[in-house]
Amino acid sequence: MTKFIPYILKSLWRHRARTLLTVSGTAVALLVFCFIGAVQQGLLALTSDEDSGRTLIVFQENRFCPQSSRMPQDYQRTIAKMPGVKDVIPIKVFTNNCRASLDAIVFQGMPPEKLKAWRDINLQSGDMSSFASQEDAALVGIDVATRRDLSVGDKFTIGDISVVVRGVFQSATAAENNLIFTQLEFLQRARGANDVGTVTQLEVHLNDTADPDALAKQIDEEFRTGPVGTTTRTKGMFQADTLADLAELIGFVHWLGYACVGLVLSLVATTTVMSVQDRIKEHAVLQTLGLRPLRVFSLVIIESFLLSTIGGILGVVGSTLLLSSAGMSIAAEGVTIAFEPSLALATQGIVVAIAVGLLAGLAPGWQASRAEIVPALSHA
Amino acid sequence: MSLVEVINVTKEYANGEESIRPLDEVSLSVEEGDFVSLMGASGSGKSTLLNLIAGIDLVTSGEIVVADTDITQLSRGKLADWRARHIGYIFQTHNLIPVLTAYENVELPLLLLPMSGAERRKRVEIAMAAVDLTSRASHYPRQMSGGQEQRVGIARAIVSNPTLVVADEPTGSLDDETTEQILQLLERVNNELGMTLLMVTHDADAGQRARRKIRLERGRLMENGKELHTAKIRTA
Repeated sequence: MTKFIPYILKSLWRHRARTLLTVSGTAVALLVFCFIGAVQQGLLALTSDEDSGRTLIVFQENRFCPQSSRMPQDYQRTIAKMPGVKDVIPIKVFTNNCRASLDAIVFQGMPPEKLKAWRDINLQSGDMSSFASQEDAALVGIDVATRRDLSVGDKFTIGDISVVVRGVFQSATAAENNLIFTQLEFLQRARGANDVGTVTQLEVHLNDTADPDALAKQIDEEFRTGPVGTTTRTKGMFQADTLADLAELIGFVHWLGYACVGLVLSLVATTTVMSVQDRIKEHAVLQTLGLRPLRVFSLVIIESFLLSTIGGILGVVGSTLLLSSAGMSIAAEGVTIAFEPSLALATQGIVVAIAVGLLAGLAPGWQASRAEIVPALSHA
Repeated sequence: MSLVEVINVTKEYANGEESIRPLDEVSLSVEEGDFVSLMGASGSGKSTLLNLIAGIDLVTSGEIVVADTDITQLSRGKLADWRARHIGYIFQTHNLIPVLTAYENVELPLLLLPMSGAERRKRVEIAMAAVDLTSRASHYPRQMSGGQEQRVGIARAIVSNPTLVVADEPTGSLDDETTEQILQLLERVNNELGMTLLMVTHDADAGQRARRKIRLERGRLMENGKELHTAKIRTA
């Protein structure tokens, strides 16, 4: 069939406006498909990675927005003594918007040494020592830095909080690229408040033998009679609970992904059917020259495959560029979902485009290959 | 044995509720190297017979043997392979592929045969030279006159050196001068290249250029005023 590739390409180019419209339509649909996939992937990463099951988040009981959770920082010492606990990180969280937002700014204040020990971040610019030595210093996640055009040395103000960027980091955990890390005490004193001694949440790291559920229960039991009650969950469950509304919405949005696939199928199939109907006589001539019906079928399938695959590749490349350059995310109540491109997502997009292309060509290919030659030769 | 043997062939098809039988138990033999014209009134079934011999239509009953192959027994796929190897078809309306150049149109049948690229190029160049269109090789059908298009169609039909060349009203859409050029070309194909030629035409003058003139009248084949009969019955 390779000998017929020039003929196939010329046939596609014959109706170039139709071909280009189909390819661009396919590209847009695949771009949306990959974008939706990235959102789902971001949510899945938050709730299912290994760390999310082996780390506990202690939050004030019956509180959801980080602004309203205020726990005594000395709970840290009590928890640290419990068997199975490797380390406890006190974290103060500030966000400019507790509701779902595409541009929420989330600050996490924690002791620099804990940050170094427990966050898998790689500084793209700036340095850790200047962050540790300056009270209002901040390390900015690369996605926030991209969105807000921030670089080392910039002063960044949001609401009543002003920080100086001392580093831009890339984290192994995509969602963290949307955070701004500060020192704990800075955030406790921010906005003229004196919240020293209180934290938003405690992040409890367990050793390998600890049972997360049992320990969570033990922590909540311990503070049941304390000044502030706690709700302790694994990090994955905490994030899932926090993002429950968004997760429901994202769960619904995945149907839009399927709709995109249906759209590509319909678009490519329509174009291929039109192309076949335009060339009923031409296919009959090819069969008269000796082209087997199966080869006519293959010609049509390859045409629809090319339409869909070229569009698919453009859509996947477009979505990858968009997702990697725009640093997009959605946050709710201080937890962010990062929209990140991935090889798996790109592969999935291209596989879908190929499969849809092959599927779209089946019916018109069959029609072209089964046409009776003599009546088809009389076709106008 | 003859190159082409049409034995008791009947072709019947339905046109709404009406049953039409353009060919009724017709028989015909064509020898290798013959130039046969098949004439008759419009709708007499001459193109139907040509299409049956070319293997692009199916008989209702009877046999058609071309170069020792009973083509009525072949599957669609095998019939296509057989056409690629044995049949060169010249259409009335040229039927060139519009997106391909003259060269590519002529090359098309060779893409279906096992041969090297060099061999293919050589054969296309010979065929283009035979129809005197070497200088038009890179032209598209829309850039050529009707006569030139038909010459490309003839080159495409002969390029694979087929067992039989069939032509369905090859001059039907051409003016007198071009008709004469095409007929001369077909005579050369028969005389100089030695190819067997079966031509359907309703033009009596064109039909006279063939060595054998056969008429199809009311479903019967007539030659020199006599009905043609089967030489032998192959079926058991």
